[in-house]
Amino acid sequence: MKELKILAVLIIVVLIGYIGIEPYAKHVMHGTIPPPDFSYLDLPKFEPAGDPVKGKELFKANCASCHSLKADGIEAGMDKKTAELSFHVVPPDLSNIAAIVEPHFLANFIRDPQNATKNPKFAMPPMGYLTNDQIGDIIAYLKSKAKKELTGKEILQDACTRCHSVKYQKIQAITSKEHLKTYLGKIPPDLSLMGRAKEKEYLITFINNPQVLLPGTTMPRLGLTEEATEKVVMYLDKIADPHKEERKKIGMWVLIYMLIGVAITYAWKRKIWQKIH
Amino acid sequence: MKLIDWLDERLAVRQLIKVMMTEYYVPKNINFLWSFGVLIILTLTILIISGIFLLMYYKPDANLAFDSVNKTIMMDVSYGWIFRHVHAVGASIIFLLLYIHMARGIYYGSFKPPREIVWITGYVLFILMSATAFTGYLLPWGQMSYWAAQTITTLFEKIPFIGPDLVIWIRGHFIVEDPTLTRFFALHVVFLPLLLIIFTAIHLYAVRIVGSNNEDGVPIPKEEKKKKGIPFWPVFMAKEYFVMAVFLTFFFFLVFFHYEFAMDPINFTPANKLQTPPHIYPEWYFLAYYEVLRGFFFSQNLGLIAFVLSMFIAMFLPWLDKSPIVSGKHRPMFQVAFWIFILDFVFLTVLGKLPPTGLYAWLGLIGSIIFFAFFFSLPIISKIERKQIENGGNKK
Ligand code: HEM
Repeated sequence: MKELKILAVLIIVVLIGYIGIEPYAKHVMHGTIPPPDFSYLDLPKFEPAGDPVKGKELFKANCASCHSLKADGIEAGMDKKTAELSFHVVPPDLSNIAAIVEPHFLANFIRDPQNATKNPKFAMPPMGYLTNDQIGDIIAYLKSKAKKELTGKEILQDACTRCHSVKYQKIQAITSKEHLKTYLGKIPPDLSLMGRAKEKEYLITFINNPQVLLPGTTMPRLGLTEEATEKVVMYLDKIADPHKEERKKIGMWVLIYMLIGVAITYAWKRKIWQKIH
Repeated sequence: MKLIDWLDERLAVRQLIKVMMTEYYVPKNINFLWSFGVLIILTLTILIISGIFLLMYYKPDANLAFDSVNKTIMMDVSYGWIFRHVHAVGASIIFLLLYIHMARGIYYGSFKPPREIVWITGYVLFILMSATAFTGYLLPWGQMSYWAAQTITTLFEKIPFIGPDLVIWIRGHFIVEDPTLTRFFALHVVFLPLLLIIFTAIHLYAVRIVGSNNEDGVPIPKEEKKKKGIPFWPVFMAKEYFVMAVFLTFFFFLVFFHYEFAMDPINFTPANKLQTPPHIYPEWYFLAYYEVLRGFFFSQNLGLIAFVLSMFIAMFLPWLDKSPIVSGKHRPMFQVAFWIFILDFVFLTVLGKLPPTGLYAWLGLIGSIIFFAFFFSLPIISKIERKQIENGGNKK
């Protein structure tokens, strides 16, 4: 009994310390993470709708000089080198863009990328001369070509890897380092371990709107849908911690083994100590 | 001839077993806090074994270290992650055990004559363990590794005259760099563990010579050892195994399910000497001392002196607390001071992780002062107790 009392005091003191240095200190240091906003309603309302056939022609005329759309056999009008020299970043292929970006955001983005991404130096020039209907047609076209089901890895490759490398997955950023440095002021961090370096909530809110958590950062807001964001974050978590399932399974077995050990040693102690007192 | 007889003729093993185990008596009135020494040895063994396995893949080079830990060991090598988790959690938990072991010693007066050498060798072990943890923390070459090493080594700069040169000598470079990593590696895997093992041996030898203290702090006379004590083997060890099993269950629970406290997320970002993280803090077991360093926020020099003093002052307990009553169990005044001290230590630990601004800065100062007040109150408490005993003695 006396020993249990000592144990209780021990546990209480350790717990107070633990709560202080982990949950409490983290709360003070990082604050609470604001929730993401996937409606992007800070941008003017825009419900794009239109004709994919017209959209294709518009795409070829207005977008294909820089962007490819491999799903429809459209190659970009300039190669990687030229693109880097003009923009310091390689424009993405747009085959699946409509599957991962919120349509309302996409429409606003085409019209005014700098405002939509919250990055005044965003490389794509504004397409303000396109009418709402034309933008609607282009988006209808993009939608018609986009794959319906994308994996986290595919989304990452479409949305992130033109700037970020994922070294441990042997993914190299599409744009070269020197140009990224010119474009963004620094080389964006490698994403291999991001899933362990940051909490899930942080990553979701950050991808949703980088400025909320890192004011002034040059990472653009990408306008991903909720589903795409969650898939990317799940993928990041998986590659950063590939042994999660194994760890839980082995952990259970080890604990069972240890509890048997506790039982046996307790039985032996009782037996030996019976005679003492 | 039986093996035991053969060995007995050559090594006197029968006698050895008697002296060391079956006829070595441990007091009966001790609680499970007296098991923590053995738990520390157990954890130290776990650290050494897991460390050897990590060593097989770790690369002490600033360009390779981070990936060798986070990719090779954590992802590619079969069960490599278990060894890293065990090593990281073990390093953290051994400090919890050490603090409990030391608090036990302080409360029950185990540092008093004739156990001064036990106490001092123990304290040397604590310092060695701190150095081992500090050097080891740099090895994964993550952001927090790097900046903790940078911050702490910078402290040496303030030492008069030799400071700036000393810092460069320690780092092997003007800032923490590849040479720092390699020398910390050498210290962490060879030199410090060797010293730890040697001092553990001396510590244990000293405990054997003077015998264990007990809850009441009253030594058992030699003649009554058999009656009032329990033999180390099998009686004492039977309980010890049970305590060990409970501890290991807790330990592996942490290893598999709750390791975040020992593996800071920030350290999963590679070291970047151009980017200071917004919050730099040491591992939890140094936070209290770190807070004493920051606590005297109005003077860096004073903070530094306080920091060094706080790390070493407990070593001088045998000379600070000379009360004739050994165990805190029979010292009401000491008990008050002791519990204030324990809570203050936890308080400082928590503050050490919080940003040192506004109210927290002042609380840190108050906490630091209470920390020292405990040690300086001991001679006074001892004196009062001595008087009380003398007066009481006169009355009788
Ligand atoms: C690697 C570090 C250490 C190891 C392996 C270790 C091991 C042990 C062991 C096995 C015992 C006997 C069992 C027990 O009473 O718990 C012991 C006793 C003791 N240790 Fe340690 N110890 C370490 C560090 C320390 C430290 C840091 C201190 C204090 C500053 C300390 C002070 C003592 C004292 C005073 C005793 C005698 C306790 C008594 O008889 O009441 N030890 N140690």
